[in-house]
Amino acid sequence: MVNLRHYSFGLILLAFFGTSFLFVGCDGSSPSVSGDTAASPAGSPDATAKPRIALVMKSLANEFFQTMESGAKRHQEESKSYELLSNGIKDEKDVTRQIDLVEQMAAQGVDAIVIAPADSKALIPVLEKVRKQNIIVVNIDNRLDEAILKEKGLCIPFVGPNNRTGAEAVGNYVLDKLSSGSEVVIVEGVPNAYNGEQRKLGFEDAIKNRGMNLVASQTANWEMSEANTLVGSMLVAHPNLKCVLAANDNMALGAVSAIAAAGKSADVIVGGFDNISAAQNLVKEGKLAATADQYGDKLAVFGIEYAQKLLADKNAAPADLETTVSLVTADSLK
Amino acid sequence: MSKLSLPVSVGARGSVLKDYAGLLVALLLIVVVFAMIAPSFLSTATFVTVANQVPTAILIAIAMTFVLITGEIDLSVGSVLGLCGAVLGVSMTKLGLGLIPAAILSILTGAVCGLITGFIVVRWKLPSFIVTLGMLEAARGSAYLVTNSRTVYIGEPIVCVSNASVFGVSAVFIFALLLVFIAQIVLTRTVFGRRLIAVGTNEEAVRLSGIDPRPLKLAVFVISGALVGLASIVLCSRLGAADPNAGNGFELTAIAAAVIGGTSLSGGRGNLISSFFGVLIISVLSAGLAQANASEPTKRLITGIVIVLAVIVDQIRRSRKDR
Amino acid sequence: MISRSDTPLLECRGLRKHYPGVKALDDVSFSVYAGSVHALVGENGAGKSTLTRCLCGLERPDGGSMLRDGAAYAPLSRSASEALGVRMVLQELNILDTLTVAENLFFDRLPVKCGLIDRATLRSMSVRALERVGLSGFDPDLLCSHLGVGQKQMVEIAAGLARECRVLVLDEPTASLTQSETVRLFEQIRQLRADGMGIVYISHRMEEILQIADYVSVMRDGHMIDTLEANGLQLDSIIHLMVGRELKGEMEDLRGAHDSRGRVALRVEGLRHPPMVHDVSFDLHYGEIVGLAGLVGAGRTESVRCLFGADRPTGGNIYLGESTVPIRIKSPRQAVSHGIALIPEDRKSQGLLLPLAICANITLAHMRSVVSGLPGWISPNRERHVATDYAQRLGVKCSGIEQAVGHLSGGNQQKTIIARWLLRDCNILIFDEPTRGIDMGARVEIYKLIRHLATVDGKAVLIVSSDMMELSMICDRIVVLSAGYSVAEFARGEWTSEKIMEAALLKHLGDKSSVVEGNTVNE
Repeated sequence: MVNLRHYSFGLILLAFFGTSFLFVGCDGSSPSVSGDTAASPAGSPDATAKPRIALVMKSLANEFFQTMESGAKRHQEESKSYELLSNGIKDEKDVTRQIDLVEQMAAQGVDAIVIAPADSKALIPVLEKVRKQNIIVVNIDNRLDEAILKEKGLCIPFVGPNNRTGAEAVGNYVLDKLSSGSEVVIVEGVPNAYNGEQRKLGFEDAIKNRGMNLVASQTANWEMSEANTLVGSMLVAHPNLKCVLAANDNMALGAVSAIAAAGKSADVIVGGFDNISAAQNLVKEGKLAATADQYGDKLAVFGIEYAQKLLADKNAAPADLETTVSLVTADSLK
Repeated sequence: MSKLSLPVSVGARGSVLKDYAGLLVALLLIVVVFAMIAPSFLSTATFVTVANQVPTAILIAIAMTFVLITGEIDLSVGSVLGLCGAVLGVSMTKLGLGLIPAAILSILTGAVCGLITGFIVVRWKLPSFIVTLGMLEAARGSAYLVTNSRTVYIGEPIVCVSNASVFGVSAVFIFALLLVFIAQIVLTRTVFGRRLIAVGTNEEAVRLSGIDPRPLKLAVFVISGALVGLASIVLCSRLGAADPNAGNGFELTAIAAAVIGGTSLSGGRGNLISSFFGVLIISVLSAGLAQANASEPTKRLITGIVIVLAVIVDQIRRSRKDR
Repeated sequence: MISRSDTPLLECRGLRKHYPGVKALDDVSFSVYAGSVHALVGENGAGKSTLTRCLCGLERPDGGSMLRDGAAYAPLSRSASEALGVRMVLQELNILDTLTVAENLFFDRLPVKCGLIDRATLRSMSVRALERVGLSGFDPDLLCSHLGVGQKQMVEIAAGLARECRVLVLDEPTASLTQSETVRLFEQIRQLRADGMGIVYISHRMEEILQIADYVSVMRDGHMIDTLEANGLQLDSIIHLMVGRELKGEMEDLRGAHDSRGRVALRVEGLRHPPMVHDVSFDLHYGEIVGLAGLVGAGRTESVRCLFGADRPTGGNIYLGESTVPIRIKSPRQAVSHGIALIPEDRKSQGLLLPLAICANITLAHMRSVVSGLPGWISPNRERHVATDYAQRLGVKCSGIEQAVGHLSGGNQQKTIIARWLLRDCNILIFDEPTRGIDMGARVEIYKLIRHLATVDGKAVLIVSSDMMELSMICDRIVVLSAGYSVAEFARGEWTSEKIMEAALLKHLGDKSSVVEGNTVNE
């Protein structure tokens, strides 16, 4: 028999401490200064101190973000006008960790945060909190949910490519090689990622434009071997498949090898996105029809420059800034 | 008592078929269900595709089954797979090594990871759960270091491995199948295999029988690592590229396959052929769900349910036999 | 049969319980009266455990009825039976190692003050409960992981006694108690009897039963064979009822004069492994059986574990045969290579691979004998052949050589381990509690087997046992350990229980007070 009385006090204690931790958690992000900055208190940079800008990315295991980071570092070394703290998370899906990172950056007393959110909705509350501490936030790569931002009255400028038009360009180029009515599948990214959704929409636009037949659309969670397995099954389920449009190059690589394994390299063409180095080889070899380059190395730089601009001119009204996306094909790589 | 745990009785043919009957029925059931849902499912193409995809999982399931039989666990197989693939990719492209030396290097990498894990587990008597959890992180980190976090495109030199076929069936698949049988024979018919089972059943009893269990455990981790290295070659050849993220979460798939095959997580009981069926069940399920165009949530839900169902059915069958 | 006019505290009538393939209880009737100790005896599998499990609500009988103070009684759970005043102290230890003695004693009803555990009350309650079982001066705040098996058993009993009840079931309470602890327990039982409690006492130790019980019920194969008044009862007649045949002659046989003592097999000088073993010396010859006697905590098991390399001694020398050069035994592997084998006390956790086949268990230590063709390659036929040969030689009763060893009886499991070492060709056999948990009938077989190994096969046998009767019966020589020192040695005919007990208590000076009692306990 469970006698609740025995546990009541323990439960009360637990509840008490639980809630008090919550409170501590809420104002626990008081700024602290890390050693290497000039001894100026955080949040109020004097004229001599360089502004500190934090770059918070998604998985540094992903080549795209790796490129982004090195671009940013190069930019910082050349300009030397600010201090850069760059961070990434272990796993693209590890939203919690990224939230922690943002909080740590705020606690370190940075002046601006340039972030590529792992989730377009889940990061908003923490960014809202950061904004209240007068830290400038610039959103890059993956766009935060506009509806929620509007609802909260938050103004976080987005600097980045239009994934939808980029994907549409890839789709248009690839599908032009096919007769209309051909069967096409889309390999999606992680279900709740904004850029993945945009790319999918862009592909769908292209499919509609060219009058193609979309027979399946499934996620491979941005992963190569998962895409390989998925496309292998899709090829069986749809023997007349003519084209695979993958939301990133890793998945496109997986698709290319699945098609080769099924002996259909001549029949099925593939389109990707991101222009990673491994994909460039495939494009040159003609196995990958096209991919899109959103200039990852410059993406963070654009965001940082925009943040600097906002830091310099407190009165500037933040607005979105669209960066270029260009189509990469065998011709353009020559 | 299940025959599975009586290694000496594996020779008797009639009873062996009966041992796998449950798994076969489960597999057939899945095939039948998908044949009804997806019209294209019941075709040679499906099975050729599955046969192309499973070798990596089979090799890792063999490794995992061996480790589980000795009463240990290896959570690092997925990331060691990534590391071995990375070593393979980089040595074939940047270092310009041929396929064979690169493959050897990759297998060695796996074996060294296993050696490190095994040594730490044995030397300081630590739970392998924790040690391999550490290795999981360390190996993944190393994989990023080796590849500079970039997917390495290898192309034709490695693809030729998975393209080889015997009578239309992927040679790699036949190789993996062969390895399953060899591993099963090692387990049931050799002194080494018997001792592994014994260590997993009761390590103290083995020690007090005058057999040192430590080298056995070390050997199992090294074998596991080497098998993972081999699996990485198979995976890279299928993808034509080395992805430092490869094998993320593979450890859980391998454990699921082994457990579906009746391997005990507390050691002493396991069967490679059953684990092989476990891999098939998971792979056929995933192929079927993809062909049926199931959404991501549905896929995960159904996969989870099937894994648990398979284990429940196996448990019921086992306890019936026990009476 | 008991003829009493009062209503029994607890009564069973025609109880039946079937398990698949086994009639565990078949028309069993049994009554427990107020103010009496009722012993329940029988071999393993006779149905004692099933009966007591039914009494305590852990099992539901298939047929028959139970009455508590004359009213229908059908508990559905252990807590239901406890609410009706029937309490059981289980044989297996239910002590939680990570909690303190006090917490274990009152685990299900910790005193609470303001939602926190009331330490002071708990402490005083615990001290009282411990005093009842004679553990005065015992710190109730000690973590149970620091206790020895015997002490844990006492805590378990104290926990049982600390609760209000009318009927108390004690299942093998003295299995791991020392003599003096047993004496205290018996005093306590007598006190409870005087208080009008009904006590069901299950034990394999016949001398204890004759000492404490008022009635003795004998069970065999699920039947209640007979219930007798203990007064004036002879040991032999109980055993006769239990086993269903006469064992006395067979036991006499073991005591026959054997002069098979050969050359020296092993000499131990000044063996040291603190805190349990301080200075142990003795020698062991081929063809003889030497017993290691002593109280719990005398360092017997620890000494033989050192001999076998299971633990590493910090001092002392071990000589093999006539050699004057000591051998170093760093691991069981080295011990085995010198021909030394240990048959451990806890067969299940230290000796056997329970789910594996008998043959796999027999060949474990000597796989080389079943390898054929390629190195490391087991020949199943040869293995079956070799294992069957040894199993038959030792008389292992099984449905087949591939039966799981976990399904065998204790005696047959023991024989399986002996077979393992004979196959390995070990000539120095160390038995730690060779008949623990083994039936009366099967014990005799094990004794005969050990005698045969020494006399006919010329093996050197060392036996550690807490059962004086066992040692007196089969040993040629007895070495007595006391608190880690070898203090005395007796040849056959020289020893008496009193002499051994006196020697065993020699170094336990603090325990001196219980010497006299200890002697009375033992016959």
